[in-house]
Amino acid sequence: MTYRKLAGAAALLTAATLGLAAPTAAVAAPAQPPCSEASTVRETLPNGTTWQLCWRIHDRAGLVLTDVSVSTKKHPEPVQVLQSIRLAQLNVPYDTGDTEYNDLTTYGFGGYSLETLTGDDCKGGSTRQGTDGSGDPQQRDVLCVSAEASGLAYRLHEQEWDDEANEPKDTYFTKEGHDLVLRSISKVGWYEYVSEYRLHDDGQISARLGATGDLSPGDYSVADNGWPIGKREKDYASMHYHSAFWRVDFNIDGKGGETVEQYDTKMDGRGSQAAKLVTTSKTIAKEASLNKVDRRWWRLVSPTSKNADGHKRSYELVTGADDPYEGHPEMQPDVTFTQANLCDKWATDNVSDPECPLDNYGILDFAKDKQKLTDPVMWVRVGFHHVPRDEDQSPMPLHWQGFDLLPRDFTETNPLAPEGREAVNGQQRN
Amino acid sequence: MSRYRKWGWGLGIATVTAVTAYGLASWQANAAPAPPTPSAAANAQPRVSDPKPVAEPVSGKGSDGLTTSEVEKARTLALTPELTSGAQNVAGEAGPEYLSAEVDFENAGRQAELYFYDYKTDKLIKQVVDLKTGKLAKSFSAAGMQPPASERESAVALDLLLADPQSADFKEAFQKATGKQFAGKDGLVATAHIYKAKPADKGASQCGKSRCVQLIVKTADGHFINVPGLIIDLSGRKIARLT
Repeated sequence: MTYRKLAGAAALLTAATLGLAAPTAAVAAPAQPPCSEASTVRETLPNGTTWQLCWRIHDRAGLVLTDVSVSTKKHPEPVQVLQSIRLAQLNVPYDTGDTEYNDLTTYGFGGYSLETLTGDDCKGGSTRQGTDGSGDPQQRDVLCVSAEASGLAYRLHEQEWDDEANEPKDTYFTKEGHDLVLRSISKVGWYEYVSEYRLHDDGQISARLGATGDLSPGDYSVADNGWPIGKREKDYASMHYHSAFWRVDFNIDGKGGETVEQYDTKMDGRGSQAAKLVTTSKTIAKEASLNKVDRRWWRLVSPTSKNADGHKRSYELVTGADDPYEGHPEMQPDVTFTQANLCDKWATDNVSDPECPLDNYGILDFAKDKQKLTDPVMWVRVGFHHVPRDEDQSPMPLHWQGFDLLPRDFTETNPLAPEGREAVNGQQRN
Repeated sequence: MSRYRKWGWGLGIATVTAVTAYGLASWQANAAPAPPTPSAAANAQPRVSDPKPVAEPVSGKGSDGLTTSEVEKARTLALTPELTSGAQNVAGEAGPEYLSAEVDFENAGRQAELYFYDYKTDKLIKQVVDLKTGKLAKSFSAAGMQPPASERESAVALDLLLADPQSADFKEAFQKATGKQFAGKDGLVATAHIYKAKPADKGASQCGKSRCVQLIVKTADGHFINVPGLIIDLSGRKIARLT
């Protein structure tokens, strides 16, 4: 019997088993999201994945995405992923110690600092008009929506024996992926920042902040905290930090109440050929600020929403390049989980709402009373220590910092699985 | 564009080798996929919908940002007689300084949260207007809170700086950057960052309780003038210097 025939039989069996124990069908995201059509982005990527969300510009946070849902060709019912995602602070201290900005809370990414898109800002995409979020709101071209190729999504060379032709047969499953990209640009003095969200066709979400524009014209220093960017050894442009925070509020399948889990993998002696590793997990049940160690990761798990394998749907935080800033205690944690609270708006420099307490400065205060997490909000910090280089003039080539949210058991198999691989689910017993 | 160019280059090679490759290609006809043509490659750029902008509605829905009409309506409702007569704006006139408006849709219905600053008491005022009922729903005020500056506050800050003898630093930086002597504020655009004194900062410790800013000024010919050591205290209408 060929491999393919076996796989087909397994598929039938799996379907039958699932038919008996099928979890409740996903609650469909409303056909109309809770915002007007002009504030809705609903786009289908070439592989059949549809992302739907509401967007708006906040005078301080800039671009805010809410009610983010995804559906795929295999799973056409939209399932909600995020309640909201936005920037929550951008701290920019110079290494000289003489200048420091909190670009969101002392200046703001929306309103008059939000750039009207022009030129190549949205090449190949669709520029969307909306209010700029200022106190005197203006309708402007502020959001770029585009679909961009993301390279090879998967590749599989399947080899099997063709009984009829009595010869080997090769099948190549190879597919290009795409991202739905949302982008806005804010100008803060000489720096220009790109707020970007990439919604991948496999369910991944990437949040990034890009910095371009120009280096600070006034911040020049000496060799041990600057870099000579003009002729010879004279103009030492100051090194500085960009520490960005994002506020991420999941609402998986519209059910909320996610559980936060931390996973750690450690060496555990030796097997017959190699080191043995053991992975343990624990629930982060109470508010906490946490740090990375090698192989540590976190995920937010729906307590009730399951995929067709009966596994709880979750999203994993995937972090990458990061420079922590020791100058402030609140820049130490890589991630902080807090119980949702309307007074917790900004990761630092939070005190700016007369309805809220005066001593609630930032994430460390939000987490201080270690409340039980029943409605967790995730605050992700990613820092970039910028050592200027000759090439930064001018304009400065974009430098990026950010993180990914990776679906983990959101669907029972690869949501982009091609015909011929759809039945592969679990150990292949042939 | 880069994609198109790459294909053009690829085809160039293909043309040169086409004659010698012909025999091999015909032999492999079934195996070799046809290379995409330049036009097909150019069209491979995935498309998103491109809706035409619609006229701004009077009222927003759900999580929409506040519309112009909603902000206008909310501002009228937020300005109580007490605020209009009792509070003071950045120019020292009667009425609070209007800062910003945000939508709150997390509670039932759409509400507009309006922020004002009262320079008389150095308090931030938050007025919550229920857009459905058209009523001022809640009022809050507190000292020691400093959200970002309005455009008018930035402009007043620049005036205060230029009128002060300590603006000599700024004027010197202007000349250094532009090569021209400072001849007035025409064409200058000021960006104001709120400054709040941290415990270790020296020179403007009142800032935080007082409303203070640091200015980044863009000149008409695109230069940025930055004098971060000079703090403009909008509440005290004076210039302070960080030491």
